[in-house]
Amino acid sequence: MSDTSLRGKVAVIGIGLSAVGKVPGRSPLSLAAEAARNALADAGVAKGEVDGVLSSHAFASPFHRFSVAFSEYFGIRPTFSNTLQVSGATAATMFSIGAAAIHGGLAKVVLLVAADSLMTGLTPDLALRSLTESRDQQYEMPFGIPVANTFAMTAHRHMREFGTTPEQLAEVAVVHRRHAARTPGAQQTAPITTADVLDSPMVTTPYHKLDCSLISDGGAAFVLTSAEHAKALGIGKPIYILGCGECYTHEHIFLMPSLTTTGAVESSRRAYAMAGYQPSDMDVAGVYDCFTGTVVMMLEDLGFCRKGEGGPFVADGQMSYGGQIPSNTHGGLLSFAHSGMPGALFHFHEVIAQLRGQCDQRQVERAALGLVHSLGAGFATNATTILGTEGTL
Amino acid sequence: MIASEDSTRKPLPAPDADTTTFWRGLRQGKLLLQHCRRCRNVQYYQQATCRECGGDELEHRPATGRGKVHSFSVVHRAPGPAFKADVPYAVLLVELAEGPRMISTLTGSDPEDVTFDMEVELAFDQVSDDITLPRFRKA
Repeated sequence: MSDTSLRGKVAVIGIGLSAVGKVPGRSPLSLAAEAARNALADAGVAKGEVDGVLSSHAFASPFHRFSVAFSEYFGIRPTFSNTLQVSGATAATMFSIGAAAIHGGLAKVVLLVAADSLMTGLTPDLALRSLTESRDQQYEMPFGIPVANTFAMTAHRHMREFGTTPEQLAEVAVVHRRHAARTPGAQQTAPITTADVLDSPMVTTPYHKLDCSLISDGGAAFVLTSAEHAKALGIGKPIYILGCGECYTHEHIFLMPSLTTTGAVESSRRAYAMAGYQPSDMDVAGVYDCFTGTVVMMLEDLGFCRKGEGGPFVADGQMSYGGQIPSNTHGGLLSFAHSGMPGALFHFHEVIAQLRGQCDQRQVERAALGLVHSLGAGFATNATTILGTEGTL
Repeated sequence: MIASEDSTRKPLPAPDADTTTFWRGLRQGKLLLQHCRRCRNVQYYQQATCRECGGDELEHRPATGRGKVHSFSVVHRAPGPAFKADVPYAVLLVELAEGPRMISTLTGSDPEDVTFDMEVELAFDQVSDDITLPRFRKA
């Protein structure tokens, strides 16, 4: 590893959630501040120690500079801050950019924080913006293409090329719901069957309503600092950032190089290389699950199974307890919550809690290495993070 | 950012320096693709330079208008009020005979009958004085 590698240089020392699910009457700033308070309390760090803040954009907030508005609201004056935007992939980039800022000396203690209230906080104007934002006005929007549509076309092509079935996609939703049932505060916990998924209304083929993720309110926050500072603070169980990788292959779905093999191959390859681990070394994963088919494709592209075998892999129980890679043990975007940009931060929260051994009845035994993959915009953006306990350094 | 003046009206493209020629072509019944004289790349969408080699020797040539369905998704839940009356409609990812892919929608037949690799051809849909949308019908 070169001197500039981020491997093991930065640790996550605090994690926190806001109220999650249906949380009426609370602004994204209020939810973000709650999550941040919880993360700082978890770390045992005072807010005055925070000198860096990274956020993502919130649809239900008028503040484009969310990180700046947050800092004022939270009563801090950071000397490093930005509001990041690579769609759903933003979550993992918050960790890599935060780590790089610490390793590069731009900040000592970085707070990653994001929140949104997509379920209850959108005015009609902001709702429309969230539907249409960043779709191309010349080549896409005139045809009436829902956000789900680009993801649907990739899954549909996957079914065509590899024989993935609607039942296998439905099984993804069933597994997530089963996981969410063990998670305090999860938005949807009532058990479902594959028949329930297939009988739910069609949204855009091949996706039924229950193939689609939730719409939620909520936020999450994390405290990062250098491995040395974490030691000096006496942090009980720091979780280290071992590897990071990103890949951006296109913007328009019609310029996606392949509908069935995504930039996650390259983003995860880079993350594994930095960490010095293989897919088979991972004990637990957080896999972006905006739609059921997304999970099938990601399990392949992240290297947990071979290309085309994601459907049978899920149907065989390999993404749950006792399988090859227990994934989204909190229930994911499909059943825990999906509040937009913060969605994948819930995956980080879960994987870090797993690595700390704090998941009670959801705990994956002896979890020491974890991967989180976040993505967005019809696979236009991909970012992977690998995390580990002290023993994995 | 898209202005949210009226969510019940379908959004129309606003031609700019990159795309005026493209939209004028459609008004005249031609789907123009850009052919790079230097590296022979054929590109959709339009801009001043070739996305492969960076050259600016681009020539607009009409496409044959023939292609096949690389993937598709039939929309049952509309993305906003403007498209509510249209559901169900089939969004197509069409691979043109010249190579590039483009997004459009099916016209003239039942969306439930779309299949992978189905042969399609251009259908010009004039939606305003200035704008004609490139849509596809079963060939």
